[in-house]
Amino acid sequence: MTRMINFAKRNFKELIRDPLSLVFEIALPLFLLFLFQQFDIPADNYKLENFTPSIILFGFSFITLFAATLVAKDRTSSFLIRLGASPMKSSDYILGYILSLLPMVLIQNVLFFLVAVIMGLEFSISIILTILVSMVISIFFISLGILIGSLVSEKGTGGLGSIVVQLVCFTSGMYFPKDSIGGVFEIICEILPFEACLNITQGTLHNDFSNLTPADIVVFLIYFIAILLLSIIFFKKRMISDNK
Amino acid sequence: MVAIVTRKLTKKFKDKVAVNEIDLKIKQGELFALLGVNGAGKTTTIKMLSGLILPTSGDIVIDNMNMKKDIFKIKEILNISPQETAIAPNLTVKENLEFMAGVYRIKDKGNKINELIKQFKLDEILTKRAKTLSGGWQRKVSIAISLINDPKILFLDEPTLGLDVIARKELWKIIEGLKGKITIILTTHYMEEAESLSDRIGIMANGNLVDIGTSKELIRKTKTKNFEDAFVSIATRGE
Repeated sequence: MTRMINFAKRNFKELIRDPLSLVFEIALPLFLLFLFQQFDIPADNYKLENFTPSIILFGFSFITLFAATLVAKDRTSSFLIRLGASPMKSSDYILGYILSLLPMVLIQNVLFFLVAVIMGLEFSISIILTILVSMVISIFFISLGILIGSLVSEKGTGGLGSIVVQLVCFTSGMYFPKDSIGGVFEIICEILPFEACLNITQGTLHNDFSNLTPADIVVFLIYFIAILLLSIIFFKKRMISDNK
Repeated sequence: MVAIVTRKLTKKFKDKVAVNEIDLKIKQGELFALLGVNGAGKTTTIKMLSGLILPTSGDIVIDNMNMKKDIFKIKEILNISPQETAIAPNLTVKENLEFMAGVYRIKDKGNKINELIKQFKLDEILTKRAKTLSGGWQRKVSIAISLINDPKILFLDEPTLGLDVIARKELWKIIEGLKGKITIILTTHYMEEAESLSDRIGIMANGNLVDIGTSKELIRKTKTKNFEDAFVSIATRGE
């Protein structure tokens, strides 16, 4: 077994054994998915085929929060000093953190779609494709968590993680379309990557990419690459500076 | 045979010299204690010797390998028990041992883990999550983990800090049991600990290694009555 997988296994155990992580990453999104289908809300956002991808994204925002907490906790404890003196390399850490969260992402996706299908979403191959696409999108959210965890303390991750959750809720178009407010808010939604993430996920599920613009793809790719690189750079930097 | 050699080992943080041109030779199997008041440079020295931070200048040779060239080979043969307890909190004691066996790619990990369980009498806490253990047990597990790769060199950074007398004495017994088999570099604030456990003692002050010798030699040199007085005399020299 490689060091990276060994580290990923440890991280996964740490996460799965934290009851709060399970509540926020799985139970809360599932509850919201169920709750909003109990009312006949006259808006397209809340239709099951649109709201299920929104819930996936909402769940990912908590993946960011818990990834940040795990990294910050490891960093500020002596645990990373022990590992820093071992033959583990930077790539083992970063990939180990990313890999450890992918099973959680898969569990989220499967459960969200299972509940959605029970509530009336038609099962199709698009669901499988959406799960695969969302796994790729989740790497952006995990990297964002590693970046936050590398920059701030364990206490700080709660605050920054909550901002990510709020941004996903309000700028992705999950609860209301951006043009219902317009102006500066609309521009913010276009600059941030969350609406692009939702458009990609919804487009894959609907097998209809008419809502997806080239700008969405560009914005997502820029954030994906930039955040991944920044998380690697800052994690490596903090690993050294924390040991000064 | 010499296990560790440093030549003019120096670490600067901006303008502050944390460790200043240390020349050190530690023999294989020796238990070497590094003493000094807070901020003397002990932990920085240990971090450089264990490959956690890079020196600003100077050389480190461990087991005939140069730290600059062979850092990953060196990291295979050393281990560290950091100042604070370094264990994964939500993993059980056994899982912690298994995880670290994976980090060092231990081939016969089942046997090695069983050996450590026996040596440190960990049976009763094996299935308990690390975060639920008392401070004494956590420290014991932390030291057990640091032996998972049969290190040639072991760094113990204040291993008994914050422990009660009984837990401390128990750890001393374990450390004494390792003497001669492993080269141990120990930092501590407890004079009694350094005196009773170590073969030689190095005293650091303001980043300099100001004196080195056995506890008896240091008492003789400073013409003091006991080791604590000898330490105070050496550590405050030049102030």
